[in-house]
Amino acid sequence: MRTSRAFFWIAVLVVVAGVSWYVATHQRSPVGDRITVYYTKTDGASEIPWTVSMRPQQSGESAAEHLRNTVLYAATQTIAGPPSTVSAIRFPTGTHVLSADVNDSTATVDLSGEVKNLTSGVLAESGAFKALVWTLTAIPGINQVAVRVQGQTLSTLPGGHLELDEPLRRSDW
Amino acid sequence: MSRYAVRIGSALALLAALVLCASPAFADDHLALRLDGKTIVLAHVRSQGAARAIAADDPGLLSLLNAIGATLTWQPGERYVLFTTAEPVVVSFAVGDTRYDVGPVKQTAPFAPYLLGGHPYVPLDELLHALDFAIKPSGSQLVLQPQLASLDVQSSDMGAKLVAHAGIPIDARIASASSNKLVVTFDGVGSILPATRVVGSGPVQRIDVRTTGSVLHPQTQVTLSLAPGTTHTAAGTDDQRDFTIGFNGAQAGQPIAQAQPAPQETPQFSPAPSPAPSATAAQVQVTAVDTQPQNGSVAISVAVSGNATYEWHRLRPPDNRFWLDVHNARLAIPPADQPGSDPVTAVRVHQQSPDTVRIALSLADFDTIDVAPNAGGVLITVNDTVADEKSVPHAGSGMVGDNAVAVASPPPGGPWKFQPRPSPSPSNYVAANPRLIVIDPGHGGSDAGSIHGGMVEKTVTLQISKRLQQILISRGWQVVMTRTDDRDVYAPNDSAKDELQARDDVANTRGARVFVSIHLNAYINSGPHGATVYYYKPSDLALAQAVDKRIGASVNVKNDGIVKDKLYVVHHANMPATLIEAAFDSNPDDRALLADPQWQQQMAQAIADGIQDFAGAPPPPSTTNGE
Repeated sequence: MRTSRAFFWIAVLVVVAGVSWYVATHQRSPVGDRITVYYTKTDGASEIPWTVSMRPQQSGESAAEHLRNTVLYAATQTIAGPPSTVSAIRFPTGTHVLSADVNDSTATVDLSGEVKNLTSGVLAESGAFKALVWTLTAIPGINQVAVRVQGQTLSTLPGGHLELDEPLRRSDW
Repeated sequence: MSRYAVRIGSALALLAALVLCASPAFADDHLALRLDGKTIVLAHVRSQGAARAIAADDPGLLSLLNAIGATLTWQPGERYVLFTTAEPVVVSFAVGDTRYDVGPVKQTAPFAPYLLGGHPYVPLDELLHALDFAIKPSGSQLVLQPQLASLDVQSSDMGAKLVAHAGIPIDARIASASSNKLVVTFDGVGSILPATRVVGSGPVQRIDVRTTGSVLHPQTQVTLSLAPGTTHTAAGTDDQRDFTIGFNGAQAGQPIAQAQPAPQETPQFSPAPSPAPSATAAQVQVTAVDTQPQNGSVAISVAVSGNATYEWHRLRPPDNRFWLDVHNARLAIPPADQPGSDPVTAVRVHQQSPDTVRIALSLADFDTIDVAPNAGGVLITVNDTVADEKSVPHAGSGMVGDNAVAVASPPPGGPWKFQPRPSPSPSNYVAANPRLIVIDPGHGGSDAGSIHGGMVEKTVTLQISKRLQQILISRGWQVVMTRTDDRDVYAPNDSAKDELQARDDVANTRGARVFVSIHLNAYINSGPHGATVYYYKPSDLALAQAVDKRIGASVNVKNDGIVKDKLYVVHHANMPATLIEAAFDSNPDDRALLADPQWQQQMAQAIADGIQDFAGAPPPPSTTNGE
């Protein structure tokens, strides 16, 4: 009697664990199979969107993990920028994403040290980050973007102007 | 004792065997590749059936990426393995997925990338192909041969253009030219292009590609068969990696964006690029705007002649206006301002700027609006149901045409256009010293600012600031400068925050009426020029507008207008503040202006006038606190 009750509770436990696992791993991501990436025109004012295809959520990839991967992919696309034949404000050569993370609605993007070369003037500095913020906040669930450089939070880039110590939003422009 | 020793020895041997077997280094092959006279050793290569896998973080691969200007984005534990080429194109692999993406093009790999010993293994030959390289045998060695990776004919109203691209900077020349044939030789590259491609109509009708030479010293010859009467330019380059020839009036060696002003219309931006040559016109046309009342709603259909981007905005109640801008478009119908049909009270269509067509709606209420792009334009549906102000998007954007897509709108809860969110700086600021203006000459001391053509930013900002100081003093203002000579305001080689905050503190601790920071703008090329006036806080806006108006009216420089930007010195000044980028020192014409004392005086005068338009005349000294 006692044994069968124990079996019953073990069975319940297994079912609950199984269902939890299924729900956790099969929750659909709100991110579709395409994302919009922006670049800033050299007038510094216009954000031009283009779309890139996005790998759909894979099996075993949770919605949260897919969102984080989407942010990583979108940030990498933004920093690469449009084809070289397009006249766009660009991140300095060699700049790449070291890591990306999402907490609540804040995307945190850690950039490589090359971004510190972005000090030619306000136009380039502002235009480059504006494109990054517009791209990442176009992803459902992302409202603001925290920028790190080599793991550090900077007030501004060295010799720079744009404030980077708080997450940036579209409304900052 | 000896039995224990044997047991311990056996256990250690087993452990060592396990460690060796588990170590990827044990199973991995070395691959030595010749590239440009050097040998690159890939130490972590594995056979994967007929294919080869490489650890993405292999030191040899990283050095190769570095040599060709590519980067890797991957962290331990990450599923995505992203490479950015020098072009730039993002090559995206994911652990467990045979699909990979090269820019906008989906590809299928012979095996799914996998993790082994914590390293992600990706398909080697597919990766090299995406980087525009191929492994070719030459005798006993393997050569990493750069490939001529693309050869596109891009058409526009201004003619056609041939653009070639390879994995390394291109060394090419026109070998021979006749009335109907053009032969171009590319040295040092092989080719992965089809041997023959029939382009069809247009100046270039057929392209034949043939690779000769050795594996180490390849040469690719491209023969272009031309339509009768086709003219061509000399070869040019957009950047080091491209090779261009213009046909029938198109310029070679110019950024393509100039021939096709809206880059989003070029095929490389579409999610599934067409292999056919682009035939996009310089601008699309808005050919019709039809208003159709339906049951309880109004559908406004905007017909657009090609691929274009759009954005829309709406204003909060009780304003209730909505507008949609089609970018890079001309209005092909007469502008209209017509009464609508309930709940739309008016529909206006006009050319908002030389390249923007605006469709503006006035609404009776804060109605629900749906914006749906399609192949032929965009459909705006206004439903006669009142929307929840807190939950609907305020703005959105998208593309119409072949790749119609609506971009996710900014999440609701953000600010409304024209009504910025409250700033931490007080907007009801009362100056303790209403006669005091603080001028901040940008940079100084260890921070030179930008340097172009012998001009140093910190020197010119100080010159203009001193002129501004004199004018304001002559008008009865009290002026404090954050610096009066070439020095750091906080300390030499200090952090940007300390330096910028020290400048704000000069104004904040004295309770100044206005804070003005003078800078020069700069860019990586000489294109951008003009004066820009920056603001951030709501309380800055009127000051920026006043200064910009005066600059536009009286200074001989292109007026780039006012721009909102989260600039540290503007944000952290308690009082109305503005940062003026007087002109671009990276533009030769602007630089000549900046060096001219008369022009500096003109600029200082305009800024002083703008400050006074905003702040009024200085109050009499008795009202001050005796700064």
